[in-house]
Amino acid sequence: MKLGAFEELVLLAIGALGDDAYGVTIKEILKEKTGKKPSIGALHSALYRLEDKEFVTTHEGGATAERGGRRKKYYQLTSYGIRILEEANELRMAFSRNIPGLNLKTQE
Amino acid sequence: MRERRNIPPKIAQRLLLRFLREDYAEEVLGDLDEKFLSVCQKQSNLRAKLNYWKQVIHYVRPFAFKRSKYSKHSFMLGHYIKISWRSILRHKALSTIKIGGFAVGIAACLLIALYVGNELSYDSHYQDQDQIFRITNQWTEGGEVGRWSNLQGPLKEVIEENIPEVEQVAKTVFWSWGNAGTNLVRTESSQLNIEEGGFIYADPELLDILQVKMVYGVRSQALTAPNSLVISRSIADKYFPNVDPVGKQIILNDKTDEAYTVGGVMADFPDNSHIQPDFIMTLAERQSGPGTGGWCCTNYIFYTKIKAGADKQRVEQKLLDVRDSYVMGQLKTAGKTGLEEMELHHSYYLQPIADAYINTAEVSDDITHGSMELVWIFGAIAMVILLLACVNFINLTTAKSLQRAKEVGLRKVVGSVRSDLIGQYLSESVVFSMLAILLALIIAYVALPGFNQLANKSLIMPWFSSWFLPSLCAVGVLIGVISGIYPAFYLSKFRPVEVLKGKISAGRGTAHVRGAMVVFQFMVTIVLLIGAIVTHQQFQLIMNKSLGYDKDQVITIHGLNTLDSANKASLKQEVLNLPSVQGATVSDFRPVAGTAIHNRTYWLASARLIDDGFEAARWSVDEDYLDTYGMRLVAGKNFSGAASDQEALIINETMAGMLGLQEAVGVQVIDMFDQKYRVIGIVQDFHFETLFAEVEPLAMVYGSGKSVLSVNISSEDVANTLSSIEAVWNDFKPNQQFRYAFLNQSFQKMYESFIRAKSIFLVFAVLSIIIACLGLFALSAYMVEQRSKEVSIRKVLGASVAGIFTLLSFDFIKLVLIALLLAIPLGWFLMDVFLGDIHNRVDLSWYLFAFAGVVGVLVAMITISFETIKAALVNPAKRLRSE
Repeated sequence: MKLGAFEELVLLAIGALGDDAYGVTIKEILKEKTGKKPSIGALHSALYRLEDKEFVTTHEGGATAERGGRRKKYYQLTSYGIRILEEANELRMAFSRNIPGLNLKTQE
Repeated sequence: MRERRNIPPKIAQRLLLRFLREDYAEEVLGDLDEKFLSVCQKQSNLRAKLNYWKQVIHYVRPFAFKRSKYSKHSFMLGHYIKISWRSILRHKALSTIKIGGFAVGIAACLLIALYVGNELSYDSHYQDQDQIFRITNQWTEGGEVGRWSNLQGPLKEVIEENIPEVEQVAKTVFWSWGNAGTNLVRTESSQLNIEEGGFIYADPELLDILQVKMVYGVRSQALTAPNSLVISRSIADKYFPNVDPVGKQIILNDKTDEAYTVGGVMADFPDNSHIQPDFIMTLAERQSGPGTGGWCCTNYIFYTKIKAGADKQRVEQKLLDVRDSYVMGQLKTAGKTGLEEMELHHSYYLQPIADAYINTAEVSDDITHGSMELVWIFGAIAMVILLLACVNFINLTTAKSLQRAKEVGLRKVVGSVRSDLIGQYLSESVVFSMLAILLALIIAYVALPGFNQLANKSLIMPWFSSWFLPSLCAVGVLIGVISGIYPAFYLSKFRPVEVLKGKISAGRGTAHVRGAMVVFQFMVTIVLLIGAIVTHQQFQLIMNKSLGYDKDQVITIHGLNTLDSANKASLKQEVLNLPSVQGATVSDFRPVAGTAIHNRTYWLASARLIDDGFEAARWSVDEDYLDTYGMRLVAGKNFSGAASDQEALIINETMAGMLGLQEAVGVQVIDMFDQKYRVIGIVQDFHFETLFAEVEPLAMVYGSGKSVLSVNISSEDVANTLSSIEAVWNDFKPNQQFRYAFLNQSFQKMYESFIRAKSIFLVFAVLSIIIACLGLFALSAYMVEQRSKEVSIRKVLGASVAGIFTLLSFDFIKLVLIALLLAIPLGWFLMDVFLGDIHNRVDLSWYLFAFAGVVGVLVAMITISFETIKAALVNPAKRLRSE
């Protein structure tokens, strides 16, 4: 199953947010980490695709006043989703190691 | 309590809900609201609203659309197409006629569109398109503007020194001066002379101005050396295969001492370029002939590239300024008269390069031009033929509406609304037009070679152009809708109760609309017929016009320029010795296309410097010329071959008239180079230029020609005569092919574009007849079917076959006669405009129109009679028994 670049970012965001991953928070964290502002339309389109590909599951959460009484839709990584992230990461690392002069040190 | 102004924009929300999938709505709206509120708090209310709108607009993505609405439409469309297909199959003959008529119309349109596109695409391939011009003369007098191309050679330096806006300027020679035109070509290593055309002279700058792409050599230096020339790639491949020809020699007309050096190889000029040179010879540092000459003579066409951002009008004004401050003085010194007139009326005009071919500025020059007039005529004919096809479709659909009426009634009963029915009939006609387009593509593909021959083009089907197939589809939909809209509205109007009870007899109400359309079709057809007949008559008139010389017995032999003058004389003598040869003369001047051209200004010797004189063609001929061509002297005598001939002049009647004397023989005439002549004879006027113009003045001086031998032969056994002349030729020039032309063929060449217009009229007249007849045939078949019972009862009661035939035909013949009445004045008017004020114009006499009318009516009669006779002959018992 293919994973697009933007989809990968969204998937990472869902993972990072843990239990609090729904539309608005995902959009915010993406903005914070990447500096880009995806439209809600673009974000939802990616989310539905991820759901179709079964990388994430969803459940409905509580309604709040600021949503005009509408319920939130929370997203959570599935194990399949976690594996696809690992694969993507491995692929990237495998390539990067072969590039001389590329600084691979991570800030731990 | 939330403040009122903190509510998300209602309109945006409603818009979103209109297209958004229901199952997404809750989450999406929730997210949007939450985001909206947070922007409201952090920034401003306005910003939040704008953001909300932006997000909604960004939401217009396919994934979010409602599915249900979509699927209903696609389902119905599928249904429409299925029904269309069934109805096509049910009425096979009718459908074939509908689609066939459409296809022929579209194919004709397609071919014409290709032609028009090609005509308009000339010279649009230059990078700095807007900066490239031809410099032309302009004469404005009494509200009329005339333009011509030729200018004086020294003007080039004057422009370069005085007009800083001009980046580059180059003179060129296209007319047959020096070696321009056609020559015999060989390389150093070969002895075989081969005839090649496309020779021009040009200054080195021309290559830069026209941005010629070089295959070998450097563009800026390719023509700078004296006697250098640039050849096209296809010529290079022919004479110097697989090598770089730069520096190699090319010998023209066997003159080894005047060989040219190849300075470069250019890519072939594109087909849609107004000039098609294969050899560009340099004008740089020439000692004689082209490239020389002072202010006396206008021999050159000027091309220029002005600087980016420079204003064309400003350059024109500066040209005029420098003319007044400098050029006028030079012209006066050169002995030009009429300068005051010139100052009043003459100016310069920069013609954009893209206009050089189609020539809407009507600059007269020596180049082949397209015709904007023909483009318009073609375009109009294409549109009309397409319209005829649409009319067919409408007529046949409404005529057959009775069958569909029940279908409409039932559909309405089970809940169909009118817009659905309209949709159905529109999609049906679009299906028809799409099928027609497929067929039209095949027809056009098959007809393209013939059309190319007709239009003298090398068009190809642009299958793989990105615009081609999409625009065809768009055209298909457009035509489908145009021709489907009336039937769709008409058919969907039926009231179900009346239809199902059988009260309505559908088709009656539209009878007069159909009648009008048949009238229209036949009117167009008859007008095109008139066009074809008139152009044919005009052609016949020209071909049979007595010209003042004998065009049918003269052949011309070309390529003598490789012989020296002694050999020319003995060749002529040997040809004269052949029994079937009645006369022979060596002269480059012939009264047909491809002749040499030379003009000078003449005065009566006593009037030199008093009046402006007049320009006349100047032909060098010998004492055998008039006899060979069968031209007649009306006064005086012919050249005798004696030394006194050098100052003798034979003029034509027109020139004699311009001299303004009772008795022109014996008077002295002087030309612009102060050469004096005595008129010894007056030759009867003959047409040496196009017959569409009056005969121009002509002066014949004694001299011999360079390259053409004209031979008058007896008309019996021409093939034998030719082969004996060829045998003589081969004795003189075994390494050069014998080339000859019949004078009457060269004569026809002068009228090529006219002959083309004639054939095109004919082809399209036939096409429109075919389409109109297809429609009429189907219509009459339908009508006969409707009236079959009536016919049977009439027969039982004693009607004759002839009577019934008349009865059935009369309805249609009436319409054709009305069409004829309308077509005759229209055709007369259009032909009057088309022919314009040409000389030797055919009379638009009544029998031309009568003939067109008879043909139109006859064709209509024959078409109808297939069905009417069948109906009249049928056994009435068979028809009536079934009831």
